[in-house]
Amino acid sequence: MPDQTLPSAAELLLLQIRYQARLLLANGRAMVIGVGLPVILLITSANSHGHVSRTSVAGRAVFGLTLTAWNTYGIRLVAAREAGILKRWRATPLPRSCYFAARIIATTLVSVLAGAVTVAVAVLLYHTHLTVDIALGLLIVFVLAAAAWAAAATALTAAVSTVESASPVFILIYFPVVIISGVLGTINEPGWLHTLARYLPAEPSIHAATSVLRHAPGAPLVPTHDLIVLAAWVVVGLAVALPTFRWEPHRPVQRRAARSAA
Amino acid sequence: MDAVVVEDLTKRFGDFAAVDGVSFTVPAGQLVAVLGPNGAGKTTTLEMLEGFLAPSSGTIRILGQEPRRGGRAWRARVGLVLQSTSLDPELTVRETLELYAPLYPQPRPVDEILELIDLTDDAESKVGTLSGGQQRRVDLAIGIIGRPEILFLDEPTTGLDPEARRRTWAAVENLTEEGSTVLLTTHYIDEAERLADRVIVLAGGRIVTDTTPAELRATGGPPRIRLPLPDPARAAQLPPSLAAHLDESGRELLIRTDDLAAGLRELTTWADAEHLDLAGLEVGPPSLEDAYLALIGEPSTTEETHDA
Repeated sequence: MPDQTLPSAAELLLLQIRYQARLLLANGRAMVIGVGLPVILLITSANSHGHVSRTSVAGRAVFGLTLTAWNTYGIRLVAAREAGILKRWRATPLPRSCYFAARIIATTLVSVLAGAVTVAVAVLLYHTHLTVDIALGLLIVFVLAAAAWAAAATALTAAVSTVESASPVFILIYFPVVIISGVLGTINEPGWLHTLARYLPAEPSIHAATSVLRHAPGAPLVPTHDLIVLAAWVVVGLAVALPTFRWEPHRPVQRRAARSAA
Repeated sequence: MDAVVVEDLTKRFGDFAAVDGVSFTVPAGQLVAVLGPNGAGKTTTLEMLEGFLAPSSGTIRILGQEPRRGGRAWRARVGLVLQSTSLDPELTVRETLELYAPLYPQPRPVDEILELIDLTDDAESKVGTLSGGQQRRVDLAIGIIGRPEILFLDEPTTGLDPEARRRTWAAVENLTEEGSTVLLTTHYIDEAERLADRVIVLAGGRIVTDTTPAELRATGGPPRIRLPLPDPARAAQLPPSLAAHLDESGRELLIRTDDLAAGLRELTTWADAEHLDLAGLEVGPPSLEDAYLALIGEPSTTEETHDA
């Protein structure tokens, strides 16, 4: 009798993370937008003395990170679902949690990479101060921010029924949120808008990254409020996504059949 | 042992019953083709058997397990090919197979399966650059890579050219020789005739017949003699006993008879006297397609062509 032992979930999770990360990195257009555009915006924000503010560095890095973790990830997830790819995976012995977790982890890794490239350019071109502590702090912020955006994007996919509507829906939500959160420059007025932004996932990401870049010895590395807000978005995003997530494409055929029979 | 047990299966979408009280069993190792016109309920039935759709009522057991409750171990014993291709276009054929193979306890070696689906030469090509037929074969490869005990194939050769269809058939035959059970939906009668041990015909969500291809063919009536008569002048010269067998278009002679010798004798005697070329003459039993179309109440393709 041949060995019928199934491979371990951990083994399959690693395999899936590698696969999902490879698919994301192979998407040239998404990489140009997620990595190239923030760098261009960073360069154009430099003043006449060749200096960029730490707020600008943090804002551009978060911009690249969230483009990947929200738009690229969310739109691709809807496309994979509507192409039947998720349905195919669901029918295999791969634990569903593995597929789900791998997509979010791979997206988080690639998003952190996108944010890190912007910071690296700032360090190389504009001598932005970077120590091991600051790098570690940025890593914590970027991981949490990317996970928060990816979890929220996963939750949103259940409400998007077609590939054609995925881009408009994700982009229409994305740009107002990141603009009021100061990705392209600080907005302090009106006050209620600033308060609202503090509880959305973009502003705490930028604020936390800025705080880390300005880190002074003895002060907390990452502001607690920002960490709590981002962690809450991870939890809420997953709590909404897990029960509502759709593995199968929408079924217009059956609906048409039902209507025609009625 | 039965690999598939379906009892009084029904699926409703609102007031519309896509599948209505279907019952059948499939013994292990058998290849069953499910035929039926569009909207007959083939795919809906298959999706319930695969566990994607919950039945409105009725019971299903696949390899002894209710599909909606099947865990990892059960899914490792089941292979499927969906109605439409569902592959990541950015991966190569080899990468795709290497991704799915580790999910199973005893996967087929990737090189073996590449050979089986005749894609060894395209192993390093991205899936998105392959033809539709090649992509369909990659789909099939994923379906069988885990050596499934049961394989569900939902119209696996739709849109393929004849050569690609034959290659797909060969891969399916290879699987059945190894003892797998296969449930196949198809629009192609020749596919069912070539592959199936048994044919289930669905129409309007119900089973119209459940039989062997030979028995289904036998329901198509007596053997037939068919002779195209493209020249209407020839048809006008037919003796009354043969003219009675002209079809509605008047361009084909179709004699249905249990006494083929007598029918042929009469026809060849007349053709000899009229110096008629018999190059288009066909003699044989009713085709499976004729029997199937008669069963679901549609005109045969020959009649459709002549009506057009």
